[in-house]
Amino acid sequence: MVVKVDKIEKNKVSLEIVVGADEFSSAINRTAKKVAGEINVPGFRKGKAPRHIIERYVGKDYLEKEAMEPLIGPAYVKAVEESAIWPVSRPEVEVIQAEDGKDLIFKALVEVKPEVELGQYTGLEIPKATVEVTEEQIEEELKRRQEMHAKLIPVDDGEVLDKDIVTIDFEGFIDGVAFEGGKGEDHDLAIGSGTFIPGFEEQLIGARKDQELDVNVPFPDEYHSKELAGKDALFKVKVKAIKRKELVPLDDEFAKDVSEFDTLNELREDIKEKMITSTEMKISNEHRAEIVKKVVDNASVELPEGMIQNRIEALIQDLGTNLSYQGVTIEQYYSYINSNKEEVYENYRVQAVESIKTELVLEAIANKEGITVSDEDVEKEMEKLAENHGRKIEELKEALTARGELDWFKIGIVSDRTIDLLVEKNSSNKKDTGEQLENNDIEKKE
Amino acid sequence: MRDARDVLIRPVISEKSVGMVEEAKYTFWVNTAANKIEIKSAVEKMFKVQVDEVRTLKVKGKEKRMGRYVGKTSDKKKAIVTLKPGNKIEGFAGL
Repeated sequence: MVVKVDKIEKNKVSLEIVVGADEFSSAINRTAKKVAGEINVPGFRKGKAPRHIIERYVGKDYLEKEAMEPLIGPAYVKAVEESAIWPVSRPEVEVIQAEDGKDLIFKALVEVKPEVELGQYTGLEIPKATVEVTEEQIEEELKRRQEMHAKLIPVDDGEVLDKDIVTIDFEGFIDGVAFEGGKGEDHDLAIGSGTFIPGFEEQLIGARKDQELDVNVPFPDEYHSKELAGKDALFKVKVKAIKRKELVPLDDEFAKDVSEFDTLNELREDIKEKMITSTEMKISNEHRAEIVKKVVDNASVELPEGMIQNRIEALIQDLGTNLSYQGVTIEQYYSYINSNKEEVYENYRVQAVESIKTELVLEAIANKEGITVSDEDVEKEMEKLAENHGRKIEELKEALTARGELDWFKIGIVSDRTIDLLVEKNSSNKKDTGEQLENNDIEKKE
Repeated sequence: MRDARDVLIRPVISEKSVGMVEEAKYTFWVNTAANKIEIKSAVEKMFKVQVDEVRTLKVKGKEKRMGRYVGKTSDKKKAIVTLKPGNKIEGFAGL
């Protein structure tokens, strides 16, 4: 078998594949035998008609075509292997010559994985935000907890103040007619929470327990119910109870009540620590993402259309699976978001392009930097993952293998490491910048 | 004498006849009225070969019925022509 690789466009390759005449004609003979077994030629028992009779009966073209089809697939696969290309779409096959006694020649047009032109990917000096937790933030958190654990004290004798929680019965009328959804009983309403239409809560301030009062408020113009929007409404309200939040003082006693710590200072320390870890995590994630984005932006890749389409399909399929868990079909979803298939495709396109490009760039860098993952590494990562999910490693491995995701798992580790490397080489608050400069020089020389 | 094309109607193409080609025996459907001598010269003239021997047989037409009407397909005559060594008819089945 001879293969001629031709690069037509940037990411399009045409493979001219030649299958030897011998192989082709023996394939034709096989086909003739097969056909002989399937058709009735008068004068012959099934399968007994000789080749030339069959040829006359079904036509030579037919035999050649039939013989060619099972040859093309394996020949294509072999050609791809030999020519070391990485196809990302189905090949378009064009037969150039298919004649008995001559070589079988066909062309396969296929989109291949694009080559990545890496831009600068070291020494980008991307600053990492410093972790800062201020006293105020801690105080805020404490206050939030204080609020959370506040006691509700019934106020029997007194007026409604801002932030109080009132229990009310209410009924709303527009032009003297009660409207749907405007009635409630024993409704707990926090004044100032903005749960009711604007103006309502404020008018309750100053009311007393067991007082009945009328509240006149207009529905806002942009109210979600069209029938009510912009109309003046009258609510007959009865205040049944008033409760006031009473904050417990922030002291050791409070710390003991709400946490496992004995003193307020310990609690404060703990809050600080947790805040630092969580912001650190957030910042370093952001930092990583920023570096990756920068590196990806610096690189240039021309993505083949087929690859993008495949990815979009995959994304939409994922979406469909997720939706089906909620019992929604994809069509229902389309109509729900007031869209259609084409628009959703278009929307996902950006995401698809971004993710493919990121993957390709990371892969290219991993290749260039020689980042690989050994089986032991995979094993280790699996152990970690298994532990996190509280499952046995064997179970996990089985699941991964069964779904054929072992390779993906490996790729995931490689790209994680690549990102680690990128982070290491692109952080600006790293001291030894000398090495990075060197790398840059090499990059430029190339 | 009849023209060669009136004597030889068409080759018999069947497993048996195709198999006999190897023994230099070629089978034809021939005019029922033709005799061995006529067949011999017709084959020699048409295919430019030398014929060694001609054997013939008659194939009686079959009785066919359409309801109560009895019909009959026509009788036919087959000739098995043996060529002299070194002769052969190219593309026998392709006539």
